[in-house]
Formats: sequence, structure tokens, C-alpha cells
Amino acid sequence: MRTACLVLLIGVLAWAAQAQADQDALTQEQINKLLQHGPWPLRVEADPSNRVSGNPGAIELGRTLFFDPKLSGSGNMACSTCHHPGRGWTDKLPRAFGIKRLDRNTQSLFNVRFNRWFGWDGQNDNLWAQSIRPIINPDEMHATPKHVVQVLGKDQNISGQYQDVFGAAPGEGTPEQTLANVGKALAAFQETIVTARTPFDAFRDGLANNDRKAIAAYPASARRGAALFFGRGNCTFCHTGPLFTNGEFQDAGVPYFIEPGRVDKGRFAGIAKLKSSAFTLAGKHTDDPAKTGAWKVRGVKPLHRNFGEFRVPSLRNLTKTAPYMHDGSLATLEDVVRHYSQIDVERLHADGTRILAPLHLNKNETQDLVNFLESLSTE
Amino acid sequence: MRYFFAALLMLLVTPLKAAEMPIFDAHIHYSHDAVEFLPPEQIAGILKKAGVKKALVSSSDDRGTQLLLKHAPNIVVPALRPYRKRGETGSWMHDPTIIDYVEGLLKKHKYHAIGEFHAFDTDIETPVLQKIIALAKKHDLLLHAHSDAEAVERIFKANPDARVLWAHSGFARPERVREMLRKHKNLWADLAFRSDQASGGKVIPQWREAFEEFPDRFMLGTDTFAPERWHYVEDHAASSRTWLSDLPKDLAEKIGFRNAEAMLRLSPTE
Repeated sequence: MRTACLVLLIGVLAWAAQAQADQDALTQEQINKLLQHGPWPLRVEADPSNRVSGNPGAIELGRTLFFDPKLSGSGNMACSTCHHPGRGWTDKLPRAFGIKRLDRNTQSLFNVRFNRWFGWDGQNDNLWAQSIRPIINPDEMHATPKHVVQVLGKDQNISGQYQDVFGAAPGEGTPEQTLANVGKALAAFQETIVTARTPFDAFRDGLANNDRKAIAAYPASARRGAALFFGRGNCTFCHTGPLFTNGEFQDAGVPYFIEPGRVDKGRFAGIAKLKSSAFTLAGKHTDDPAKTGAWKVRGVKPLHRNFGEFRVPSLRNLTKTAPYMHDGSLATLEDVVRHYSQIDVERLHADGTRILAPLHLNKNETQDLVNFLESLSTE
Repeated sequence: MRYFFAALLMLLVTPLKAAEMPIFDAHIHYSHDAVEFLPPEQIAGILKKAGVKKALVSSSDDRGTQLLLKHAPNIVVPALRPYRKRGETGSWMHDPTIIDYVEGLLKKHKYHAIGEFHAFDTDIETPVLQKIIALAKKHDLLLHAHSDAEAVERIFKANPDARVLWAHSGFARPERVREMLRKHKNLWADLAFRSDQASGGKVIPQWREAFEEFPDRFMLGTDTFAPERWHYVEDHAASSRTWLSDLPKDLAEKIGFRNAEAMLRLSPTE
């Protein structure tokens, strides 16, 4: 009997110690960092470079165009072919498939309106230009501005919608102007793809408001994962703010050979494309007379470090957007955590303070971090 | 008629290409993972296409350097990197077996430098680093040091006659680099993996002053620290030529290739 009581006592003490450890998993410093990752949702504002941003007619036109394969040169590929709403606005493939297999993973459109740069390489500085990119890419939808004008003109319904939104028929002005308008309608639609609040947001607001019930509702494992994310892992260095991204570019230690003899130059090539684009915030197709944000394209210069860097993605709703990384080479969140836990720092340059270092997480810690990441998704 | 124009275009383009300034790439690696992905013939082709006439090549392990030397003997200037694999950058100074590795290779092959190695501040005082400095002295080899200014000072304290190529110019500000070059006449500085010397093809004033004060001490480097970066050699050479063209021709040629040749006591490129 005495032995049984002793075992029970030890068990209770162990449970109590674990419960306390869970409670104390986050230091004040980590909590302060965590609080900067909200509140959510963010306040939305119309895009000044897009005169139809937020316009209900443009949103509907954009929705129609997004799901309509007419825009493609072949007539059988729509934006939604790769950005499928039922697949997290992506395609679930490691690397996208257009007319042929492409070089990169299809990025989700969740919260795309908040991006500073667009695409893995940031080759566009605004959403409407990014929406045009796959339409005219010969390896993707393979259309031309003239083709877009023709197919819009032939479809009475779309043509009418277009005229209502832009006050002119498709093709009035240059084909490039029509193409830019199509991009703006598509952007207006994509601006509506904003994710809902997550368990993390409830926890974060609970901490902000000292709401013990909300704090207690957040699983202990996710809390320990948060301590890793905001503490030892320093994941928040790049995945920071309410979007869980700094919006910039980083070498995450993922190889960037596409195939033998061919590499993905990442941001380095993205800057070159950005500089030669006619559809930037500094260009003639912006609707913002003040050219707000044009400093980005004017100021950005290629750096040696940009070669092989890719945009730091948002982590919101990431459970719905597998596989991961610029080439979709990591199938699961466990794989991603393992990648950073065992990262090959020799692939990274040794200048200055290392941002990335192997975390050497054990099995439980890996699971905690995964559970935390999962809490950034809507249920 | 079409062929005439094509031939005319060729004639116009060819002399321009031929007139491209040669590059001496003083900071380049062909390490074990690069050997795995890119055969030496391909590497030699990349260097030639980029107009790299000479390259100070160091690799972890040394096999890459020797392989490339066989395939491009007129380009490769071999340096002995004291790493058996790249993972030793932070630990090699505490590993006495490195000395056996280095001494073994020094007996076997001819080198012009030891490096590029990573060592900071008091790392230089470890027995391994002191022995490396002594071996460089014994074999009359340049030391290619990825180091802070403190470590460079300690190298010269250990051997005041050492010849040191300061990798990345220590990632120091140009004013600090100038201080170091003023203090040590046997110190040279490579500009690998730094983009701050020029912006939009124009050399920034602080660096222009440094280049003008020390026209014989700066040189270029690509630093192929990951296998993929071999595909950056051509872009790097092109962007280097762009900003060098903002300098007087003689100074541009010195930074582009002549300083590295002089530092390594090689015959000048015609």
C-alpha cells in the first residue's frame, strides 16, 4: 500500500512539474516577440496602384477570369488550374506544371494582398503585375496581350463586365493596357483571399489581454513549440510580424539546382526581371499618380547574396499549402522542421552572424514545433 | 545579304569580346559537393566563358583543386585549404590532425597559398594556427585568411614577414581596410561576396578612395561556397567588369587581374 501511494505521489508530482513547465514554457522576452505577430486580421486598404482595388464589379470580373481558361493561349488553362481553392490556392505539386514542368513550387494565394514582393524571386512589386506574369509566360498560360483582347471581346458577358468596371471596351487603348486591367481585376479578386483567425491568434490575444481562459485553451505542446519558435530557434528572425514573414529574401540552405547544369538564380534573376518590367509601381500602368511604393523598384540593386535566395513565405495557413520550399522539395511540416533542425550551414555563407544554425531538436521538440506551426492555420 | 549582315555583326562583336578585360578570380572553391555536381571539364568551361584567365582555387577537400588543376592548368593557381570537408570551418583550429593533412599534401603537391581558412581573433594563438603560419613561412606561401582585423594582426605578430590575402577584406568598412593596408605592406584584400564597393555600376566614393590609395592591393573573388554558385561565376565577372569600368583603366586592370598576379609572383597576363 505504501509503495502504491509513493508511486501515485511521484506521478502526481511529475504531472504537476510538467504542467508548471508548460505554463512557464514562454519567457517574457518570447511573449513580447509573440505579441508582435498579431493582431489578426490586418486592416485592409485599397491598393493605390490599382484603381479597381476593392471594387465589387472588379472582384466579380476577377473571379470570372480567374476560373476561366479562355485567357490561356491553348484555351484550357486557367489561373485556378494551379491556384486551386480546394487545394489551398495552390496545386499540391512539388513543382508546378504549366505547358511543361516548371522550376518552382506554386505559391498559395492566401493573404497575397499583403505581400511586399511577389513570387519566389520577387520579380514583381505589385499584385496586378504578378497576375499578368503567368498569362504571358510561354511555359504557363502562353497568351499574348492581343490574344487576351480578342477573347475578352468575343465573350459578351465578360466584355460587358469589363466595360462596367473600366469604363471602356477591351482593346480600347493598347493591348498592354487591357492586359494591365485584366491583372487589376484578377488582383481585386485575389485581395479577397484573406485567412480567418487561428488558434494562435486566440492565444496571442489572450496573452495581450491577460485572458486566462484563452491562454489555457492553447495546447501545451504548441506553447512549447512557440517557445522554440520565438526563442532558441529564432525562426521569428525571418518569419516575423502578423504575416509571419519579413517579406524579404533568404538562402534557407535548400539546394537550387533545377537539373544538372541548370540553377534557379532566385532573387538575383528576379531583380533583373523586375528592373525590365513595364508593369511596376514606377511604370506607366500604375494608377497611383504619387507612385507610392515605386522606391522599391527604383532602389533595389542585385547583391552577390541574392543568387539563390528566395522569398520568405508567410506561415499562415501553411498546413493547407504543402509541399514546401521554393522547389517543393519538403513534403511535410515535419520535413521542414527537420531541415532547419539539421541545416547544413556549410551551404550558407559565413559572413557576419549566422541567422541559421542547426537546432538539433529531439523528437518531442520537433513535434512541439510542428504543433505550433499547425496552430497558425485555420481549423 | 542576310549573311553579309551576320558576318558584319560577327566582326563587330568578336573584337569587343576579345577586348573583354581578363579576370583573376582570387577566391574560388571547388569543394567535394561541387565535384559531385559539376565535372571539372564543365568548371573549366565556366571559367573560360567568364573570361577568368587565372583563379586562386582552394577546396575542401583538396581533391577538387587537383582535379581542376589537371583540366585547366593554365587557369588554376592551387591553394591548400586546411579542411577535409567544408564542415570544418569552425572546428579545424582545434584539430591537430589537420596539420598531418596539410603537411602530407605539401609534400605531395605544389601550392601558392594556404587557405582560404576561417580564423578569428584568438583562434590564431592555437597551436594549429601557429603551425599553419610556420608552414606558410617555411614553404613561402601566401595565407588566405577569412578573418577579422584582430586575427590579421595576430598573424603578422606571429610572422611579421607573412604575406596575407584578407578574404572579403574582412567584411570591414573601407576606412578600416585602409588602416590595415597602411599598417601592413604584405597585406592584400579580396572583394569576394561583398557588394558595397559599387552601386548601379558606380564605385562609391569611400571605396574609390581606398582603391586610389592602394591601387596594388585589391582584387576580385567569386567565392563559390556552394556548388550552385559556380553558375554565378559568369554573372560575377560581368558585374565586376561593369563597376571596374567606372575606374581609370590602369586601376581597373590592377584590381581585375594584375594585383593578384603580382601578389602570387606569376608572369603578367599579356
